[in-house]
Amino acid sequence: MKGRLYMKIGLINGSPKQRNSVSETIISQLKGRIEKGNQLIELHFRTNRLSDQSIGQLASCDCLVFAFPLYVDGIPSHLLACLRQLEDYFSKEAKKELRVYCLVNCGFYEGEQTAIAQDIMKNWCKRATLSWGQGIGIGSGGMVQSVANAGDDFRLKRNFARALDMVSKNILSLSEAENVYINFNFPRLLYKLCGEMGWRKQIINEGLKVKDLNRRIDLGDSKG
Amino acid sequence: MKILIHDLDDSVAEGLLKDNKEFDLVISDDGTIKACIGCFACWIKNPGLCILKDSYSDTGAKLSKCDDLIIISRSYYGGYSPFVKNVLDRGISYVHPYFVIRNGQMHHKRRYKNRIGLQVGFYGSDITEEEKATAEKLVRANSINYDGYVKDISFAKDPTEIFKSFKIAKNV
Repeated sequence: MKGRLYMKIGLINGSPKQRNSVSETIISQLKGRIEKGNQLIELHFRTNRLSDQSIGQLASCDCLVFAFPLYVDGIPSHLLACLRQLEDYFSKEAKKELRVYCLVNCGFYEGEQTAIAQDIMKNWCKRATLSWGQGIGIGSGGMVQSVANAGDDFRLKRNFARALDMVSKNILSLSEAENVYINFNFPRLLYKLCGEMGWRKQIINEGLKVKDLNRRIDLGDSKG
Repeated sequence: MKILIHDLDDSVAEGLLKDNKEFDLVISDDGTIKACIGCFACWIKNPGLCILKDSYSDTGAKLSKCDDLIIISRSYYGGYSPFVKNVLDRGISYVHPYFVIRNGQMHHKRRYKNRIGLQVGFYGSDITEEEKATAEKLVRANSINYDGYVKDISFAKDPTEIFKSFKIAKNV
């Protein structure tokens, strides 16, 4: 499959979060690298059912780029339902070749923990008769929004920027490549401690106490 | 407590689970389940419980009582079906937002003391070898994040075979 001069690129935000998600930030960071001379179709899969219009828009693209968070080591359930709908469509309708790229982010430090979600997407591509392009696993996802406004040469952002450069190049040439897993250039222990500070700050902002983070719910002996 | 999460049609489930004495709790699709919205309220606004109003808001708390978790799911690309995955997504409050290092990688800290033994049966008429490999990795990863353990992972063409292979329910 070769890149074309003018391409239609479908950018799909698969985050369950309605606004200000890490996936949304990743897409905005990617856009500047792939928009020149191309048409970007941006969709946010918010519910578990796609409209015919959305499916039609995706079917008209040359490639699809998914961005979503890792959920319980896999894909958010609403996105999974949408993928099933797309599998039904693409496996039955005549279409041009479509290449698929996935940018999966996780709060865990290690981007490798997104590998299973990437495999699920790759298996979906096979069922939907689409072509797998590349997966990028972005670990330490809690840092994405902190460095979003920094230059790409900013030390903490460098790994992330390079991964985006690499996948952009592959998207523009519709190339297939090995998956790449990154974490931000930040010590793991420090990332863990900063994360904990963040949760403490958030729960206090909600009017609760830090110890409430540890709350255990006792349902008693009720069984349902 | 033994919990079953399944995505079977009512007619199939009724037959397999008739006079069920095997499971303390069966979680199935009652048509009300809402997808997780990623709000983190179950960690910072109402810790331990989901704020979405349906029958599944206390899934995390139910998991805290669980010793044996049996999941029966149609295979979707080597993972769970959307309903089963939805239940697990809504149960994220079972774990704590803080991280610990477990098996050399970062995972969620425990919120509760129980240890879940995971038994998962995937069914489908044409599950590929790649999908089976993905499914096995997925279940093992889930067990690590729950700080539990894997009891069994199996694959079958239809759910009746899984009930037989897990030796659960008497009327198969």
